[in-house]
This record gives sequence, C-alpha cells and structure tokens, in this order.
Amino acid sequence: MIVAHELVKEFRIPERRPGLAGSLATLFTRRYRVTRAVDRVSFEIPAGSRTAYIGANGAGKSTTIKMLTGIMTPTSGYCRVRGIEPYRHRQRNARSIGVVFGQRSQLWWDLSVPDSFRILRRIYDIPDHVYRRNLARYRELLDIDALGTTPVRQLSLGQRMRAEIAASLLHDPAVVFWDEPTIGLDMVLKEAVRELVNRAHRELGTTVVLTSHDIADIAAICDSALVVDRGRVVHQGSIQDLLRSADRRSVLFDHRDRLAADAVCATVERGLPGVRAVPADGGRVHVDYPAAEFTSRQVLAFLLDHFDLADCYAPEPDLEDVLRQIYGRQRPAAPSGVSAV
Amino acid sequence: MRAYVPFATGGLQSLLQYRSMFVVTGVTAAAGAAVTVFLWRAVYADAPASGGPGGFTLAGITTYLLLAQILQVLHTNRVDDEVAAEVYRGDVAVMLVRPVSYPLVRFFACLPVVAANAVLVGVPVLLLFAFLVPLAVPRPGDAALFAVSAVLSVLIAFCVNLLTGMAGFLTTNTWGVRMVKQSVVAFFAGQLVPIALMPGPLAALARALPFRGMADGPLTLLLGRYDGAAGAFGVLAQQAGWAAGLAAVCAVLWRRALGRLEVLGG
Repeated sequence: MIVAHELVKEFRIPERRPGLAGSLATLFTRRYRVTRAVDRVSFEIPAGSRTAYIGANGAGKSTTIKMLTGIMTPTSGYCRVRGIEPYRHRQRNARSIGVVFGQRSQLWWDLSVPDSFRILRRIYDIPDHVYRRNLARYRELLDIDALGTTPVRQLSLGQRMRAEIAASLLHDPAVVFWDEPTIGLDMVLKEAVRELVNRAHRELGTTVVLTSHDIADIAAICDSALVVDRGRVVHQGSIQDLLRSADRRSVLFDHRDRLAADAVCATVERGLPGVRAVPADGGRVHVDYPAAEFTSRQVLAFLLDHFDLADCYAPEPDLEDVLRQIYGRQRPAAPSGVSAV
Repeated sequence: MRAYVPFATGGLQSLLQYRSMFVVTGVTAAAGAAVTVFLWRAVYADAPASGGPGGFTLAGITTYLLLAQILQVLHTNRVDDEVAAEVYRGDVAVMLVRPVSYPLVRFFACLPVVAANAVLVGVPVLLLFAFLVPLAVPRPGDAALFAVSAVLSVLIAFCVNLLTGMAGFLTTNTWGVRMVKQSVVAFFAGQLVPIALMPGPLAALARALPFRGMADGPLTLLLGRYDGAAGAFGVLAQQAGWAAGLAAVCAVLWRRALGRLEVLGG
C-alpha cells in the first residue's frame, strides 16, 4: 500500500557566517550545510491500517509526509503510494489522498467553509451522493454548520482545524495523511474526529497515516505505530507491542494502614530493590518498577503481604515515557556535512 | 480544465471582500497617468497637427500614455506577489496536494483580478481622463485589433509575473526582484517613454523584448501606427510568439523547480 525504500531527503541550508565581514563574504561565496532530514528510511504500511508515524522533533516526519504526498522529491531511494511514486505522478496521486497540514491551511483564506467545500467538490469531481453523505456526517459529528459563512481567516484554530479535517475526507480518499491534525481541538472534538475516521475506515477501508505529538490522538485514532528516530525506523508494530516494550511499569495503590506515606514508600523500596515508590495524589502510593526484574504479580504479592490494600491498579505504561526511552536508547551523532558550492 | 473554473470564481469571491483596494489602485493609477500625461502634454504643447516627435499628435501621445497606464493596471494580476509569498513561506505545499497544476491554478485565479481591475479601475480612470483631456478616437478596426492585442498582453504579463514569483525559489528578497521587474517592464513596455521616442539601438532592443507586447504593441495597433495588414499581423504574431515562448519557459522552469523544492518545517 505505502512503501518506502531507503528513502533519503537532504536539504541544503545556506550557512551564515558571523559578523559583518562574514555577511559580506556570503555575498561572494556561499557555503551550504547539508542536513539529512530523512536517513534511509524503509517501511511498509498495509492498506486499511491506521498508523501513527511517530518521531521526536526533526525526525523527518513532515518531510516523509511531503514525499508521500508528492510535494517533495527524495534525494535518493523511493516511496510508493498505491503503487505510484507520488512525486513523479503528483496529480494522479493527489486524487486518491487527503491531507491535513496542521501548520498550514488548505482552505480558501477569504472564503467561508461551505464555499471552500464547493470548490473542492468541483476540483475532485465528487459525486453528489458522496458529497451529500459526507456533509451530513460533518454536520452530525463536527457541527460544521456552526462555522456559518465566516471567512476562514476569521475562524478560531479549533474551528479551522475541524474544517481542515473535513476537507481532507470530503472526496473519500483511499489514504489520508494527517500531519499534526488535532492542534487546537478540545476533547469532545477529538472524540468526534476519531469517530469520523473510524467510520471512513470501516466503510471505505481508508488508510490513515498520522503524525502527532499528542499521545492521546495517537492512542485514540491509530492501531499501529511506526517510530522513527533520526530518520531510522526503531519500532514498527501495534501500539500494544510498543507499550509492552516499556522497561518500567507502574502500580498505584491505596491502603488502610495508619502509616506515614514516607514509611510506606521506604518499606516498598526496601522489600523490592530497584523499585521506586513515591506518594501520589489522594494518599495513594505510586510504585515504579523495572519490567525486566519484576512481574506485576510479584509486586502485587508484596503489596498484599505488607499492607491492608483498599484499592490497587496497574495503568498502561505511558506512551510518552515509552517513546522517551526509545529515543534515549540510541543517540548517534546527527549525520551532516559541509560542502562549498 | 473544468477543475480550474472554481479557482476563478473563488478568486472573484475573495476579491469582492476587498473593495476598498480598487479605490486605492484607481487613485494610484490615475495619479501615475496624470504625471506622465501632463508631462508629455507639455512637451507636445506646440507640436504641429501633422504630428510632433515620433509622429505623435497631442491627442495621440495622451492616449498612448493613458492607455499604457491602464494596461499596466490590467497586468497587475498579483501573480508575482502571491507565487513569491507562497514559495517563500512554503504554502505552495498545500496547493501541491491537489490534483491540479499550480501554474494553471494561478492563471485561472488571476482572471477575476484582471477583469475586476479592468472594470473597476480601468474604465473609471479612462472616463476621468476622457473628461479632462482630448483623446484620439481609434478607427473601429484598430479598436478591435487593440482588444485582441490587449488579451495577448495579459497573457504575457501573466508569464512575466509567474517567472518573477518563481524567484522565490532562489531568493528570499522577492520584493527587490519584483521592484526590478516593475521598472524593467515599465521602461521597455514604453509606459514611461513611448518606444518610438527612444534612441535607435535602444528602441530596437525594446521592440525585440517581450515587454513591448505589454503596452507599446497594443497601442501601436490602437493608434493605427502600423504598416498595413502585414504590420498589424506582425505585432500580434510577435505577441503571440512571446506569450507561447514564455509559457513554455514557465512550464519547464516550474517543473525543474518542483524537483528541487525544499519545504522546511511544518
């Protein structure tokens, strides 16, 4: 469905030299620094999956999306979306994809949202029944009518983002690329967006590729994750697998013993070496243990033995923490070089 | 092509939100025309009825300079500003995710700008000056030739502005590039000094360049300053040739620029 093979994208960034003499020198000789934004990335995203494309800042997420949408041409390697190389057949590719760039509006700045939609309908030649069905859906889930005839430039970020998301799905694309789509959306709308994409996925088998810094978005919308660090894929699989790779897990508990919180924590840390226990809100205790050394069962057994437990639960590991670990694990020097042109 | 029509109608809708802009453009154009028209009218004040320098009569030179100014308003299609800004800011990325050709989108989007400038600025300025100063009345045939030629001039202006806007790929100082373009076009189109009045070699150069087709070409036809049907055809053919040539250059350069497009961030 979506394939990337040894995908590389390098940017040439003019180097500015310090001081006035440096500025004058750049008038005559220009030096460029070559930055590799995407470093030999290979992956495959199956049709009908909802994949989160995850990476730290500068991991090449947006750049990869721009190659998959045909905006930029790779420096080397190739990528294919539904069998075609997007940058070679940009317009053909564009017919079957929907895109949201959270940072840039794709709507008509001076027109209202309904007017923008009418233009999109003509551009993509959207059949009547599809257009009506989708509009009805946006009314129901995104309350799109509330945006009225206000020009897009006067909408709030949240309102605009609702319209952007709707616009990206209007022509029933086979693949949607959402680059940071939910900036400015509140919880209720995030829920609605999730429902919207789930319906498209269920009825049309739409493939979703999402990049986001918001872990809640990823968890809500995606079923699999592609983690890229410094241009390299470091994890590909389901979100569950990703969470399971956490090297520290937690247990929270509440007890009826008349003990000071510090004493409870000290008892836990003494009994289970390598474990960290800290008082949490509401008199609870947060126990953080290395997954390699203990099972949750061992930790629970210890707690049951030593305390009169009132409540106890083991939350899913935090995706953010998992990612931080993955990034922390490998820190090679950034590949870059200087060339004079 | 049907997919491009909404870019024209949408452009018109956007444009109508900025009505005061036409007033500003109109005042600027009228002031610009006043400067050149009254300056040159002083020069031609004592010209004989048979024609002064360059063979212009007083009414002839007035018409030439006034219409050159109005043609310039038609050529202010905002393509240079918008393309430069979109390329520089990276917003061109958004246009590229649509199944349409960007240069064609820009062309269709500029049509309402040209039409609105013609109707809301061109016509009022023309009427204002017709009221103030005597103008040459063209023969009907020449007026028709002028109309065809004016359309070709709009095409040339589109290509020149698109190329100017594409400078955004090379430099961040697109304002400077646009200023240079504006001066070069104003001079070589004959808008400030009619080409017929330029010294020989300079006039020859100006006649060979595409900018001639933006003002001097159409005005040569309007004022009947051509040599029979062949002369008129020559002017139109030169314009059409430049329009086609520049369009081809635009297409090639655009394609090459896209291959090297670097949109950083966002």
